[in-house]
Parts: sequence; C-alpha cells; structure tokens
Amino acid sequence: MSTDPNDLESLVNRRYEHGFVTDIESETLPPGLNEDVIRAISARKKEPEFMLDWRLKAYRHWLTLQEPEWAHVHYPQIDYQDISYFSAPKSDDDRPKSLDEVDPKLLETYEKLGIPLHERARLAGVAVDAVFDSVSVATTFKDKLHDAGVIFCPFSEAVIKHPDLVKKYLGSVVPHRDNFFAALNSAVFTDGSFVYIPKGVRCPMELSTYFRINAANTGQFERTLIVAEEGSHVSYLEGCTAPMRDENQLHAAVVELVAMKDAEIKYSTVQNWYPGDENGKGGIYNFVTKRGDCRGDNSRISWTQVETGSAITWKYPSCILRGENSVGEFYSVAVTNNMQQADTGTKMIHIGKNSSSTIVSKGISAGRAQQSYRGLVKVMPQADGARNHTQCDSLLIGKNCGAHTFPYMEVKNPSAKVEHEATTSRISENQLFYCRQRGISEEDAVNMIVNGFCKEVFKELPMEFAVEAQALLNVSLEGAVG
Amino acid sequence: MKATGLNQDLLRAAVEEFPADEFSAARSSAVAKLAGVGFPTVGDEDWKYTNLGLAAEISNGWLKTIIANHGAIAEQSNSEQVAMICQEIDAHWIIIQNGIIASDSLAELDGQAGSGISLSKLEFADKDDADDDAMSLFNVALLRDGLRITARANATTDKPIGILLADSPSSAVTQTRIVIDVGDNAHLRVVEYNLSVDPGRQFTNSVVQANLASGATVDHVRIQNRADDHVGVNKVTVNLDRDASYNHNSFDLGGALTRNDVITKIAGKGAAVNLNGLYLATGTQHIDNHTSILHLVGPSTSEEEYRGILAGSSQCVFNGKVIVSPGADGTDSRQSNHNLLLSDRAEIDTKPELEIYADDVKCAHGATVGQLDETALFYLRTRGLGMDEARKMITRAFAAGTLSTLAVTECQDHLAKVLDQRLDNLIGDGQ
Repeated sequence: MSTDPNDLESLVNRRYEHGFVTDIESETLPPGLNEDVIRAISARKKEPEFMLDWRLKAYRHWLTLQEPEWAHVHYPQIDYQDISYFSAPKSDDDRPKSLDEVDPKLLETYEKLGIPLHERARLAGVAVDAVFDSVSVATTFKDKLHDAGVIFCPFSEAVIKHPDLVKKYLGSVVPHRDNFFAALNSAVFTDGSFVYIPKGVRCPMELSTYFRINAANTGQFERTLIVAEEGSHVSYLEGCTAPMRDENQLHAAVVELVAMKDAEIKYSTVQNWYPGDENGKGGIYNFVTKRGDCRGDNSRISWTQVETGSAITWKYPSCILRGENSVGEFYSVAVTNNMQQADTGTKMIHIGKNSSSTIVSKGISAGRAQQSYRGLVKVMPQADGARNHTQCDSLLIGKNCGAHTFPYMEVKNPSAKVEHEATTSRISENQLFYCRQRGISEEDAVNMIVNGFCKEVFKELPMEFAVEAQALLNVSLEGAVG
Repeated sequence: MKATGLNQDLLRAAVEEFPADEFSAARSSAVAKLAGVGFPTVGDEDWKYTNLGLAAEISNGWLKTIIANHGAIAEQSNSEQVAMICQEIDAHWIIIQNGIIASDSLAELDGQAGSGISLSKLEFADKDDADDDAMSLFNVALLRDGLRITARANATTDKPIGILLADSPSSAVTQTRIVIDVGDNAHLRVVEYNLSVDPGRQFTNSVVQANLASGATVDHVRIQNRADDHVGVNKVTVNLDRDASYNHNSFDLGGALTRNDVITKIAGKGAAVNLNGLYLATGTQHIDNHTSILHLVGPSTSEEEYRGILAGSSQCVFNGKVIVSPGADGTDSRQSNHNLLLSDRAEIDTKPELEIYADDVKCAHGATVGQLDETALFYLRTRGLGMDEARKMITRAFAAGTLSTLAVTECQDHLAKVLDQRLDNLIGDGQ
C-alpha cells in the first residue's frame, strides 16, 4: 500500500506557494537591540511618553531573563543583536487614505496570497486590517464599524487616538514581565491590531488581520489587544504567511483578550508561515504568547487555531477563567511535516465558580517532524464545580516523525471534574483500504481521513476560514503519504 | 528563601568514617559524582511538585551523628509488626533492617526458596552500575549492604519471595539496594513490604534493579505502609528482554512524603509491562508516583493504571510517561490515572505523558479527577444505606479494582485488611 517513490519525492519537493518577496522600498533600522533602538521605534511611531516608559521597563526586565529551554524543540541559538527590529514600507508619512492610494505592488502581494482586499473583503463581509511588515497599510470597513461604535485600528493608531484604553488594558493579561518572548515583544513591538467592542454591541462583521513578514532579517513583533465590554460579541480572524528565505526569522507576537461580563470573544488563527525547506533550512520561529482573560461572569473566550506553517511553533493560547460560569475553549489542528517542530497547547486556569473549559487538540505529524501537545488545566481551590474535558489526538504519518503529549492537570477542588483523553495512532490500513476499494486515490483517501480527524476543530472555524483551512491542510500534507 | 539542600561536606566527611568494605570504592565514586549535583529541587521538572527539603534536613542531621559516632550505625531488633506481616503473607521472607540484611534470614532461605533461586549479598562489581541520577548516587554513597536475587533459567518458586524493609528511626537515614536477575523463562514472584518499625522522622532511599532475560516473568507487589513521619524515595528500574513480562502492583498507604519512580525499559520484542498502583492519602501526606515505560522495540505492550483517593490536605502527584522509540513499531500502550478527591483541601497533580517517535503504534492515555458520583450515592441511599455507608461503599469499589489485578495472591487478604482500615480513616477525614 504505497505510492510510487518518485511521485512521493516530487510531492515532497513541492515548493512553498506563498514564497515570493515583494520588492518595495522599506525603511529598516539596522540590526541590533538597545535602548536607543527602542527609543527610535517609539519616536518613529510618535508614541506618547507612557508607551516609551513601558517599552523600556519591558526591555530592562528582558535583559534579566533567560531564553526558555523546556519546550520539546531544538534550534540554534538566536542572536538577538542580529535582528532588525523595525521595518516599515517607506511611505510612512503620507499613509494611504483609501485602498486606491495603496502601493499597487502591495495589493498584488495580497492578491497572490488570495486575500484581495477590496473585492473579496466586501463580498465576504470581512474587514481586513492588513499588517505588512509591522505597519498597517490599509483598513477597510472602518465606517461601518465606526457606526456600531467598534474601534478596530492598527495598534499604533490606538496608542495615539485612544491612549486611555491602551493604558488601561495593555499588559493587563500578558504583563511585560510574563516570559522571555513576551518581554521582548513588549519592548520592541511595532504594530498590531486594537479592537474595542463597547457594551452590548455585537460586532457587525468578522474582523480579520493578515500578517506577513516581508523584509529579510526582520523580526515581526506584533501585538494584538481585544477588549470586549459587557454583553458584547466579536469574532476575530488572523492569518499569517511569510516569503521563502534561507535564514530563520523570528516572530514573537503577543495577543491579549479581555472579556467582561457576558462578553464573548472568538479568536481564530490560520497560521501558514514559511516552514523551511525539506532539510529544515529557513522558516519562521513562531514564539507567540496568547492569553485571554474571562474577567466577567458568564464570559466566554474561544481559541481556534489551524497551525500548518513555521519551522518552530511555541504557542499556548490560554484562558484565565476568572468570572463565574465563564467558558474557555481551545480547538487546535496542528500539522507538521518535513523538519517542522511544534510545541503547542493551551492553559486553562479555573478560578471562577462553575467555570468550564473544553480542549480539543488534533496533531498530525509527518516526515521528520516533531510535534508536542503541552497543556495545563489548573483548578484553584475556590473554583467550585469547575469542569474540563480534554481530548487530544495525534495522527502519525511516516516512520520518522514524532508526536508527544505533555498534559498537566493540577486540581485543588474536590467538586471539579477534569478529564483528559489522548490517543496516538497512524491512519488505519482498514480505512485506507476501504476508500481505495471505492476507487478513491490514496492521496485523496488520506486527505479525506485527515479531514475527518480534524472535523471537530474545523467546524469551530468561521465558514470562509474552514474552507481555506481544509485546503491548506491538504497542501501541507501533500507528499507525506507513503 | 532557599530550601535546605544536602550538605556535601558532611556527606564526604561521614562517608570517610565508614568502615572499609566491598562498597568503599563505589561509595567514594558516588560521593564525587554527587558533588556537583545535590538533591533535586522543585526547579527540576521531574520534581516540580515534590520538595525534598525535609529529606535533606534529616540527612544532614544524621550525617552529623555518623561523623560524631565515627561511622557506627544504630542497630535495631525485630518487632511484633514484622512477625505479624510474615505470618499474614505466606512467603519466603528476607528481613532488611535499615538497609542491612538480617543474615540469618538469608542463610536459611538460600536454596530453599525454590530450585534455581539463589539469594546472596550484593557485590558491587568493578563497574559502578548505579544510574547517574542524584538519588541513586546518594543511595550508593551511603551503601553498606545489598541483596541479590538470582533466578536461573526456568526457575520458579512455590511461594513468593518476601522482602521486608523494616526501617526504624534509630537510624534516621537508610539506603536499601536490591538487584534481581531473572534467567530465561524463569518466573519470580516478589512481595516488597515497606514498613516503619517505630514512629519518628526517618528518610529511606531504596533502589531496586530487575533484569529479565528472554521469556522471564516477574510479579512485583510493593506495599508501602510507613509511619506518619516517614520520608521515602524509591526507585525501581526494570530491563526486559524478548517476551519477558513485568507486573507491578504498588500500594502506597502511609508516610509523610513518598516518591516512587518506576522505570521500565523494553528492549526485546514481545515483552509486556503492566503497572498498577493505588495511593491513599490523607492529613498532610504527599505521594508522588513517577513511572516511565520506554518501548525500545516493538511489537511490545504496556498497560498502566494508577488510582488515587485523596482526603484531608494531602497532595498526590502522578506522572506517567510512555516513550516509543524510533522503529518500535507495533507498540500497544494504554495508560490511565483516576483520582477521587474527598476533601476541599486535597490536591492532585497529574500528567500522563506520551513521547512517540514511531508511526505503527497504538497509544492511548487518560486521566480523570472527580468526586463521588451523586447519582450513585443517591441510588444507594434509596436502598436504605446511610450516607457514610454509601460513601464507603463507592470509595471501596473505586479502590477494589486494583486488588483484582494482583499477581501475587498471597498478599490479597492482608492487603484487603489494611486497605479497609486505611479507607475508613480517609472517608472519616473526607467529610
């Protein structure tokens, strides 16, 4: 039951589709990190004093920290002085007022990525805040959102226009001292998205950001902050790609979510950063801190992620379930192929009474990839009636890959119910045989089985994303079957 | 605040006071190796939930006494409890008191335990066969005696071999070391009983190594029924060759702080590992079970089930690791950990881990934490049972499963008795 080895090879050698470099002038700081660089970033972004102070505080703390080594990933030491911490398309001073003014080359880039800003965005009813190498270049549907009272803008704009909100919530979920990469991000982040949903508002459309690392040698350090006031609702989509480059690039983002009483935030990610070639050369180091705070009673935060790219992923979208009856959810599909490494999972911290959480993690490992699920479910003594169910399954494709599970459960309340289940197996020969017998090619059969394996997670994705995710999954696994 | 660590200077000085014997070279080499390491701390991932500060404190105090007494270690005599256990569990008993084998029990038994089974004092060969982890090194550093059980090919025993670790705080720190070699197709049944002869603060550190040749079987029941002040660190390492099988049942009932490491390595096709455990904790007891099953080759199977009942302000830890090496195709592994929390101050930290580097495998693990089922309680109440009785019945049923898998049936009655007493305490404390 195997395909022709030559076919396999050609499939494995498939090039990364989104690997192209947009040749536009960008204004980049020379590599290196010190207080002057941070001052320069802050000055260039015309930030108020408090932001600079915050950045410097984070930087000074970062200097005292050690890079974490506990994750089940291996990579050569990163030289943080060899990274350029700021890269912006040149036309920073006279930013485009509308899409027509956007550099056509940029638009072309998005076209290639399959996210035509104007056409498809309008059709799909999606407002896109596109982050192109750290500076948001175009934001659509602003007016419609403005009518609803929703603030959706680049982070740098929020710092200037809504300093009080930024001051109040920035670092309130992921403090600048949180961890090595979060501290680094706090010091040097250049842009990101800011979302504020006022009390009782249901955001009229799904919000979306598309991240892309373009310039060589630049790290992308974006920062996203979403605040959902009492009784509000928002669904946020995030997609990522990066061009193909030989050297590794660092991406250390921070996402903070705050859900007040009865509020609901749904955060979906499709991550397709360049994974490196089949020998593990190049690719993105995706070291991300994502955390949601269910601050109010009955609040709900749901993370859905489809992780197919990046050379190394280090990412644990978490929920702090502070409010009574608050709900945290984590749905994840992670695919690693070739030499990719992923150490990903979630943390659910139950503090509020009757808080509940659901974790569904589906890992698919192929080629020589190593993938780990690392999760923590912690029930504090006051969290009466807390409930967690964790389901975490791995599918192995090929002899040389690995799938690992490190689930931590810490329970300090007797009325809590915590359950963890995990299985690891390869694609069943019987299932494959059955499909083949019905005339389905092996490749299609595997895709079908894999999609079935991931179904529980895909159904959590917004519709447009679910279709894309499925396609992405098939592409990522092409050539992995033998 | 820095936790108390092992005082290496005291250790070195105390070991120098030990009378010269066949372990001298091994001891000094272990002291040297331990110098840069020391006891593990909660900063070490494997010791995240278990603090050995108390063990270090007891050790430092004891080392001072040893230096003052120029290496002399207090002797102890047999107790009634020892006699009772020997009577209740029908086995060939070897008594090890504070790490020293009661020589009469060994001489009597050698040759009688079954044809092909020999019992002898452990001789450290030229090579230092201790693992290089800190607690094993500490074990060798203070080693004065050890037991070797050898079963030749096809040997079997009529009765299980009982190893009674009768430790008394008259010597506050004790090292025990047992090596078990089992030949082709031999079948050995072992009951290891961990007992505190008198109450009082004591730290015992034991290492058991078992090597199973092709087709060999070892049934190993470990009963830990220590006194309230006892600190115990126990490590069992098992190597399995082709078609060998190792069945482990552990019962942790007493002690202030207990840490067990069961490390099994499957190096031969068709080998099987079965690990079962029950831990009951109340008061401020701390019981930490770490298990590791390494499948180096396949096909091979492993099955593991640990159950815990926690009352009072106790804390229990379960960390079960299954590693499937590259090429260990055909591995079939199942692992589960179930916990019943009876009190709002008890804490359970559980982590069933899988590390899988081969694709033709079936691995599953699960863990649950919960409380007594209200519906089941209600059902029993409608049948006229009192609340207490209903709680006891369900709790007993939860624990009883571990007795049914017992490979050494000789200890069943004794275990049922001590479990019952222990459960009564727990249910009382749980309310």
